[in-house]
Amino acid sequence: MYELTGVWKVYSSGSRRVEAVSGVDLVVADGEWVAIRGRTGHGKSTLLNLLGALDRPTSGQLKLDGRDLGRLGDAELTRVRASSIGFVFQTFNLVPTLSAAENVEAALIPLRVAGTAERRRRVAAALDSVGLADRARHLPSELSGGQQQRVAIARALVKEPKVLLADEPTGNLDEETRDEIIGLMEKLWRERGLTLVLVSHDGAVTRRAQRVGIMSRGRLAFKADGHRPAPGQNQAHP
Amino acid sequence: MFFFTYLAKELRRRLRQAIFIALGLAVGVGLVLTVKAASAGVTNAQSAVLAGLYGVGTDITVTGAAPKPPSGTSGPGSSGNSTQIMMGPNGAEECTNGKCHSLKDGYTIDHLGIVNSSPISESHVAKIAALHGVTAAVGGLSMTDNQITISATGGGPPASFTVFGTDVGALKLGPIANAVLSSGRTFTASDADKNVAVVDADYATANGLKVGKTIKVGGAKFTIIGLVSQPEGSNPPNVYIPLARAQALGTSNLAGGSLKGDVNTIYVTAASAADINTLQSEIAKVVPTATITTPSSLAKEITGSVSSAAKLANDLGKWLSILVLIAAFVVAVLLTISAVSRRVREFGTLKALGWRGGRIVAQVMGESLAVGVAGAALGVGIGYAGVAIINAIAPRLSGTLPSQSTGQQIMQSTNGATHVINPSTAQTVSVPLIASVGGAAILLAVLLALAGGLLAGMFGSWRIGRLRPADALSKVG
Repeated sequence: MYELTGVWKVYSSGSRRVEAVSGVDLVVADGEWVAIRGRTGHGKSTLLNLLGALDRPTSGQLKLDGRDLGRLGDAELTRVRASSIGFVFQTFNLVPTLSAAENVEAALIPLRVAGTAERRRRVAAALDSVGLADRARHLPSELSGGQQQRVAIARALVKEPKVLLADEPTGNLDEETRDEIIGLMEKLWRERGLTLVLVSHDGAVTRRAQRVGIMSRGRLAFKADGHRPAPGQNQAHP
Repeated sequence: MFFFTYLAKELRRRLRQAIFIALGLAVGVGLVLTVKAASAGVTNAQSAVLAGLYGVGTDITVTGAAPKPPSGTSGPGSSGNSTQIMMGPNGAEECTNGKCHSLKDGYTIDHLGIVNSSPISESHVAKIAALHGVTAAVGGLSMTDNQITISATGGGPPASFTVFGTDVGALKLGPIANAVLSSGRTFTASDADKNVAVVDADYATANGLKVGKTIKVGGAKFTIIGLVSQPEGSNPPNVYIPLARAQALGTSNLAGGSLKGDVNTIYVTAASAADINTLQSEIAKVVPTATITTPSSLAKEITGSVSSAAKLANDLGKWLSILVLIAAFVVAVLLTISAVSRRVREFGTLKALGWRGGRIVAQVMGESLAVGVAGAALGVGIGYAGVAIINAIAPRLSGTLPSQSTGQQIMQSTNGATHVINPSTAQTVSVPLIASVGGAAILLAVLLALAGGLLAGMFGSWRIGRLRPADALSKVG
């Protein structure tokens, strides 16, 4: 799925140079769940942005299904995001004026899914898959934090992406809700054969992943014994 | 569909701000609309005043050059081309060009003449009519009849009325063209050499004149054949007589110069309004000494409230509305930028979902345009309210052409004090100011409000279109 070779992301401001990602090499197989831990400011989110085609590496190769994202134009990156990648954010990032269903529908807009009925069917199915079929008309402000994150997960998955990227998805939730959400994500990962890359501080979250990488000063390292085989079809992956 | 749902819900969320922006735009365009309507009303009033002073259907008026002022007219017995009537304790005395003779008690002086312009040969009317671009040209004699009766007590002020020598074969141009017959009949070609008169209905009412009665003009009795009314706001002659009779009875100056074969005003209709300036030059070649007046040149001479209102509408009103509009635009732009800045993270999320920058810009532009539409609707309402207020409280507008002397001075001594009476033909016309909103003004107002909305949207979304999704998502708030 992903193949990163010597990926750097450097921010320059005047004479100041910040190496957010420093020469990362990484291969993520189809259907694999990789978790990345690390302290704040050590490049986890920057790496996730690069994987999500939200940003381009300063140097190195970052391939998604064989296509080097660093060489794609803005329009092509936009298409990749629209069709192949689902995002889940720490702060949910729901549009506050739109209902749960409309927030989920927003992910289908760039795909030009034909017909209102088809869009509604897919939105309803997505909300049902996260257990919020009865909250479709609620505004984000009328939902709990856990429910909002469920809507965000439905929004990420409604377009049936190959990859789900989650940036601290449980960072704003209490422990009980955290476990619910991470359980839901694991369930969907298994059912849909998703490739899941998750960034978190929380060991309780990352230990569910097949592999856990540690990001420190922009460098990514994996424990030698950090691999946990996944159940079902994901067991075959490294 | 999603576009409109998102747009409506976003506007509903920041309803107060949207209303504030829309109201700002509305006040701006409402003011523009009101000023445009007032300006149109003033222009209409000016046109009414001009029509009254000028004549319907007339594009160019050619008037004989103003006579040279008589020299030494400052005191009794002075020489010059003028008549002075001295009233004193020893009786009345008439002095013409320095020669004086006493006047008997009860004697009536009846003088019909042109006093403000020199005669123009009637042959020039045909020459002007033959010019390319001239549809019609008609000559006439615009005169004043002054009647003074001498009495031992010093007499009252002179009776003075205006007389127009009308070409009875061409009644569709000149002062009589716009007259509506209210009683009797108008001139026919056979009246050319007859002592018949058509009298202005208001003047007739004020002086007890009726069809069939007679009126003395230039010392001759004229039978009144008809009474005519002129539109409100016009300043018509009091009496119309056939041109030939006016030429026979009138004099070109107070010394008694003949007016046979002469006119002093030529009314010209141009084939096209665009030809007026060219025609003005061509006519100047035919009658180099004449004064050639067009509606625009006459408008510049008009004084009075119509002139003040025009200046107020064109200067103060225009600049005030431009300033308010600019302020409204600036406020709309700043508030939209502020609103968009608070939504950077939201737009970053949409970009992460695969929304194109153009789609997000369109969303912001749509919201701003919707506010602009609301501003336009409110602005048209405010504009109509402004017009209603103007029409309710605006006073009548009057226009006055500079006072024109009849050339006679009457010096009257009363209790040792000497008063100078100088009959004049100053023309003042009063018309109501009716501000009206035209389709073009509404269109302008709507376009301005939409432009304000679009401008605000453009400034607001410009940053968003260029923002990298990773940067947008890193924004807090």
